[in-house]
Order: sequence, then C-alpha cells, then structure tokens
Amino acid sequence: MPFEPTLAHFLILSAAVFTIGLVGVMIRRNAIIVFMSIELMLNSVNLTFIAFARYRFETDGQIFAFFIMAVAAAEAAVALAIVLHVFRHKRGVSVDEMQQLKY
Amino acid sequence: MGFWEPLFFWIFAFGAIITSCAVIVSRNPLYCALLLIADFFCFAGLYVLLSAHFLAVVQVLVYGGAIMVLFLFIIMLLNLRGKNLVANRFQVHYLIAIASGVVIFLFSAGVILAAVDMDEVADEREAHAAQLEEADDPDEVEPLATDSAIPNLWVDAEERAVEEAYRAKMLAWRDGTAAPSDGKYSRFNPEREYELPPSLDPEPFMEAELGEDADEDVGPAIVPGRKGLYGTFKPVSIKLVNRFVIPFELTAVLLLASIVGAVILAKRRVT
Repeated sequence: MPFEPTLAHFLILSAAVFTIGLVGVMIRRNAIIVFMSIELMLNSVNLTFIAFARYRFETDGQIFAFFIMAVAAAEAAVALAIVLHVFRHKRGVSVDEMQQLKY
Repeated sequence: MGFWEPLFFWIFAFGAIITSCAVIVSRNPLYCALLLIADFFCFAGLYVLLSAHFLAVVQVLVYGGAIMVLFLFIIMLLNLRGKNLVANRFQVHYLIAIASGVVIFLFSAGVILAAVDMDEVADEREAHAAQLEEADDPDEVEPLATDSAIPNLWVDAEERAVEEAYRAKMLAWRDGTAAPSDGKYSRFNPEREYELPPSLDPEPFMEAELGEDADEDVGPAIVPGRKGLYGTFKPVSIKLVNRFVIPFELTAVLLLASIVGAVILAKRRVT
C-alpha cells in the first residue's frame, strides 16, 4: 500500500497542527480561543513525543506526554480563572484590553 | 501490515487538521470548544494507532472531559455577546500571521523530510517486497533494516524484530548485564550490585511482561495476548511510579498550586 504512514507522517502532521495553533494565537483576539490554540500546540507536541516513543519502542516519551497533559490541565485552570478575573474588570475577554501587564 | 491502520491514520490526520483549522476560524467560542473536543478525539485515535492506549484514554478523560468542560463552563458563564463576538474582519496582520505560519510549517516539514530520505525508504521497501515474493518461505527473508530508514510502524517483520530486541533488553536487565534503557548516557553500572527495595523489585513486572517462559529460547515474539502490552496501563504506570516517581509527585504539588491559584483568582474578593 503506497500510503502507509511512517514516523515522518506523524511528525509532519504534528508540525501542521502546531503551525495551525500558532497562527490561531497570532490572529485571534478572544483570549479563550487563544488558550484553545495553545492547547492545540501542546497536543501536537504530545503527538511528537508519542510517535518517537513508538519508534524507539520505549515508554519514556509517553510519560513525558503524560506530564504535559497534567501541566496543560493546571495551565487551563489558572488561565481560565485569569480570563474570568479580566472579564469582571473589563466586561470583555479581548486580549487587546489586557494591556496593563505591560507596565 | 494491515489495511485498516493506514486508512484510520488518514481519517484521523485529516480530521485533526480540518477541525483544528475550524477551531481557529470559527467565530463563536462555543463552536470552537466543540470542534476542539472533536480534535482531541482525533488525537486519541492517533495515539491508539501508535499503541499508546493509556494515553489515548487519558486524552479522552482529561482533555475531552475535564479541560473542555472547564472551557465550556467559562464560555457559558461569561455569555459573550455584542462587541466580544465581532466578525473576523480581514486585517493585514492576518496575512502576516498566515504567511509566517506557512513559512514555519515548510521549514519544519523540510527538516523532517531532510532527515528521512523518502526515496531511499521507498527503494528499500520495494526491494524487500521483491525479496519476499521470490522467496519460498517468507520467514527466511531478513526483516527490513531499520537503521537507514524510518521504518513503517506496522510492518510485522519489523515489529517482530523490535519486540525481540525489547525482550532481549528486558532479559539483560533482569540478568543485571545492561540497563533497560540501553543507555549511552545511562549511569547504570553493570559491575555494581543494585539492590532494589522489595516494592520496586522488577521481578513481578518481568514475569508479567515476558511470560513464564522468559528464560527459554525466544521463538516467535508475537504471541496472542502479549503483543499489545507496549503502551498499556501496566508498563507505563510501573515506569511512572519507579523511575519517574519524583516528577509524578511534583505534578501533584503543581496541581494543588494551580487549584489554589485558580480559586484565589476567581474569587471576587480575597478576605
């Protein structure tokens, strides 16, 4: 079969999803969707870890992916709490309004 | 080598790309969140194809369940409307962002493809298939070499070779002649006598991993009921609480800190 996926297919898929997430972070103004794009990027990195783990036939990469998932969960909780906090002050979640941290 | 695995790979790959594109262009955050759940399910399918069953389950439970419920809860709590839901009017910086995204993707894909000579892989596979056709006994043909090419993940002969290597590695670990990681950079010293505390003794794990006939001649490594062991709960969790136990415990501290932080941030006033 000519279309059998190899490691390279998984890596390129992961690069594609990472790039989509990156573009999402750059073009969207809604803070919640920016966080969703960051989740996309974290997921694509997980895919890379797991593909390499399968390629080397070792479970270490999977454990790294597991820790990334735990960190993503913690990050999502804190980030959404920040969004909630900003929404109370500004009545909006656009990242353009969150300029105070600059100063 | 199967028919279904490549088919499902392409289904999940295109599903992942299409849904993630839809996530970043969809106007309503609620649709974004629902599409992101579909995207996470596609990723879980890809993890299953890579025999990471444990992580596929964790993906669905943690990402598709916990994190996305949090997102949906916040979206519905904020009830965005009006100026927060303006249509994505075309702006110049969109062009710049998309162009830089394309450049980054082409760069990384170029790096990946430069590391893997796809023509060489194709040639090697063709030669191997020709050999297989000519030979009377398919078992006599040597399995496809894995060093010059990134191997197909589902070629049975290769899988057998890899699994045999893994088995030999585990046996060597049990005999105390080599580290399980086969590590170039490992601090494992074969001269030294390592004493494991009873609870960390790998013996039960080894029995489970290799079967009772572990000391006998290797034979066909793929035995029904044993083939799918890689990436299931047992090997991953045993590694998680042995070698990676300190990061594992630190994760608990991290989650506790994030819970406290989230509560303090979201409270109206800290008294």
